[in-house]
Amino acid sequence: MTTPTATARISSKKQTLEDAYSPPANFLEIDVSDPQTHGVAKKRYTDYEVRMKTNLPVFKLKESGVRRRYSDFEWLRNELERDSKIVVPPLPGKAFKRQLPFRGDDGIFEDDFIEDRRKGLEQFVNKVAGHPLAQNEKCLHMFLQEPVIDKNYVPGKIRTT
Amino acid sequence: MPTTPQLSPQEEQEKLLEEALNVVRTQAFQMKRCLDKGRLMDGLKHASTMLGELRTSLLSPKSYYECYMAISDELRHLEMYLVDEFQKGRKVADLYELVQYAGNIVPRLYLLITVGTVYIKSNELSRKDILKDLVEMCRGVQHPLRGLFLRNYLLQCTKNVLPDAVEDQSTENSGGQSGTVMDSVDFIQLNFAEMNKLWVRMQHQGHSRDRERRENERRELRILVGTNLVRLSQLECIDIDKFKQSVLPGVLEQVVNCKDAIAQEYLMECVIQVFPDDFHLQSLSSFLRACAELHPNVNVKNIIIALIDRLASFAQNEEGSGIPSEIQLFDIFSQQISQVIQNRPDMPPEDIVSLQVALINLALKCYPDKVDYVDKVLETTEDIFNRLNLDHVEHGSPVSKELMRLMKIPVDTYNNILTVLELQHFGPLFEYFDYKGRQLMSCHIINNALENETMIPAQENVDAILNIVNCMVQDQNDQPEEPDDPEDFAEEQGLMGRFIHLLQSEDPNQQFLILNTARKHFGAGGDKRIKFTLPPIVFAAYRLAIRYKQLSDEDENWEKKCQKIFQFCHQTIGALIKAEQAEIPLRLFLQGSLVAGQIGFENSETVAYEFLSQAFSIYEDEISDSKAQLAAITLIIGTLEQMSCFGEENQEPLFTQCALAASKLLKKPDQCRGVSVSSHLFWSGFSQAKDGEFHDGKRVSDCLKKGVKIANQCMDSSVQVQLFVEVLNHYIFFFEKGCEQISVQVLNQIISKIRELLPNLESNEETEQINKHFKNTLEHLQLKLDNAETAEQYSGLVL
Repeated sequence: MTTPTATARISSKKQTLEDAYSPPANFLEIDVSDPQTHGVAKKRYTDYEVRMKTNLPVFKLKESGVRRRYSDFEWLRNELERDSKIVVPPLPGKAFKRQLPFRGDDGIFEDDFIEDRRKGLEQFVNKVAGHPLAQNEKCLHMFLQEPVIDKNYVPGKIRTT
Repeated sequence: MPTTPQLSPQEEQEKLLEEALNVVRTQAFQMKRCLDKGRLMDGLKHASTMLGELRTSLLSPKSYYECYMAISDELRHLEMYLVDEFQKGRKVADLYELVQYAGNIVPRLYLLITVGTVYIKSNELSRKDILKDLVEMCRGVQHPLRGLFLRNYLLQCTKNVLPDAVEDQSTENSGGQSGTVMDSVDFIQLNFAEMNKLWVRMQHQGHSRDRERRENERRELRILVGTNLVRLSQLECIDIDKFKQSVLPGVLEQVVNCKDAIAQEYLMECVIQVFPDDFHLQSLSSFLRACAELHPNVNVKNIIIALIDRLASFAQNEEGSGIPSEIQLFDIFSQQISQVIQNRPDMPPEDIVSLQVALINLALKCYPDKVDYVDKVLETTEDIFNRLNLDHVEHGSPVSKELMRLMKIPVDTYNNILTVLELQHFGPLFEYFDYKGRQLMSCHIINNALENETMIPAQENVDAILNIVNCMVQDQNDQPEEPDDPEDFAEEQGLMGRFIHLLQSEDPNQQFLILNTARKHFGAGGDKRIKFTLPPIVFAAYRLAIRYKQLSDEDENWEKKCQKIFQFCHQTIGALIKAEQAEIPLRLFLQGSLVAGQIGFENSETVAYEFLSQAFSIYEDEISDSKAQLAAITLIIGTLEQMSCFGEENQEPLFTQCALAASKLLKKPDQCRGVSVSSHLFWSGFSQAKDGEFHDGKRVSDCLKKGVKIANQCMDSSVQVQLFVEVLNHYIFFFEKGCEQISVQVLNQIISKIRELLPNLESNEETEQINKHFKNTLEHLQLKLDNAETAEQYSGLVL
């Protein structure tokens, strides 16, 4: 049997003006853009700009931009799979077929392939970076905010004081 | 497999909206059918399904609005049905609780608001409690777009049922408290705060690249938030005190603390528009203090100007009560505007000046007699310019345009340059323009004086004005190298020339001081300018001399003063000669001579003689063009002919010199004409000895004979004949005046000579003219012959 107190309104504290009007503290935007192919003939590779804007306290820089290639993304995925407890989303395909010789087109350096891959990488990195558990991993911060990835780093968690 | 073609975003929206509206139509139809049959629960279910369309995240704000409007209309039916049922006594038990079982929150809350309104209108339960419930329950929807529209629906439904009484007017059969106007204020303020919060939150939804689109969408929705303020203004029981203490502070708190430029700019202007002017008058300080705390991107200038304009109109409204005297409107605005400027170090200088423009308008419209207010604004502007190290602002730049606007206002409002001179800081501000700016402003001022025919009656005024418009008077340091377009320059100096005629005092002694001051200023203008500006001064001086003569009974020193005036003119004309002018000084000397002769002060004969001889010098030394020479000597002769102040001693050399000069002209036709004209001196010139006209027939005849002789020497037969006709006319003139030396024979001689030569002329337009002239002359003579009175005199004439 319900009593009036059971369904009575819970009195809550009035929201402060600060809380009401501050920009939400969960702003996170990562854009993968500007694909550039470097080198010539067989030694070519494509990299992308990974630009991040955020106001999350866990990230040291509120704005950063680095260049990463596909293998860097693979590296990140592997690190996270090994160390963090999250189910890491998949990367866009490695496209082995496109890397075989005697193709009529430019293989992995075709524009529309690069665009599809770019979209996939953007989706991937946004999902990963938004996960609180992934945000604790050093590898993610290095990937997003260090100019060069030091593959000899000591893996570990970020200490949040 | 065929792929569906990609729709553009706009087409996508149109499709989604159409689908939504279809659902709304179908469900609304079903709802109405159920209600007609009295099946309320089924009707409510359809309503709930219909409201489900408002749960979407896919519609743009524009499309969502369309959907919302369609649904609101349909809910009207539901509301009217229920009110009807209640009035007929068929209350549905626990309806208020029943609708809360709707599955999703958005439909639930819309239904709750609808039912709650019905309860209020039917006086069930406590109005105050229901309203409180509804406004708090809307917190359940925190999505910005959906929340805004939901709360707007709440405002629309409760539009006419908000309590608007000072005391609670509960009646016996109402379920509880009815509520007071302050309860309404709380209700609206809470709704407003929540809506503003959601509106500002929209700014942060979505990717940063879409910021501009989001801002536009926010602007489209601004009226939803503004409606809260409109409701507040519609509460009739809110008086000035309640406004100051409860309404305004709450609103301003939200506006200032939201720190969002779009919201602030809109809401501040909204406050100005919806509340009456007498409320604003009593709460100015709070409002303006809030302005000082707004976000740097907010265009505060426009807000303040909007407020000032409203209050200025209010003050000028004849039917209204005007500004209460205890409200020092100007001081309040002046102080608060400085505060605003201080808080915004990045405010562009032109915006600062715009604010000063608004202040000056306020001063002039609300306190038109207080010249010192206007001066204060100019002083403030000068301080600002100093502080910002602005100098010689470039013409055409925004700040220069605003400054010019500012300075033109007192000129155009007072329409009296003398009042403008009372503004101590007007002149100094001039210096902040560059050359072009000063030039334009100076022209504006002088034009204003000319249009209003403002007389300048004192020397200090003249000094002050000429200092201000200095760039039109003298060369400037920052003048550009290339000279002005000569036409423009002439026009500009022409303005100054006309202005000189406005320098007039009733007191002749003051007038002399004025002319001296003007002379000093304009004299330094350089050769190009003085030919425009010094002649008017000379003419003004001549007029002054005549005035002294008229007041000769009142002033015993008037003759000495006249002497001084002519000395002054002599000097002034001398300056023109130094500037290599010839025609103008000649004419000025002739005019002076005439005036001196007419006035007849002590020594006036000497002065007149001196002026005439100066004229002669110019004629001899400076005029070399033969046409100009003929014109000049004719002018001199004409002047002399009118003058009556010379005794024989002075007159003889003057007359002789004229005839001589005429005979020394280079071209024969000119000589002929000159000599012929000089004949008139000896007839109608004034002789002191005779105290009347000279009437020296012999010398007249000599001149004309000479004229004939010279004409004979002309080689061009056409010109020759023309000259003969002209000389004939001279002869006829003197004949008619009764000159004895000229007889009918003389006339006959010339007439026959002309008749002889005429046929030999080539037939052309010139010959036509000469013929006509001759014919007219003959006709004149014929008339005289035919007239009985004069026939005798002319007898013997052979035409």
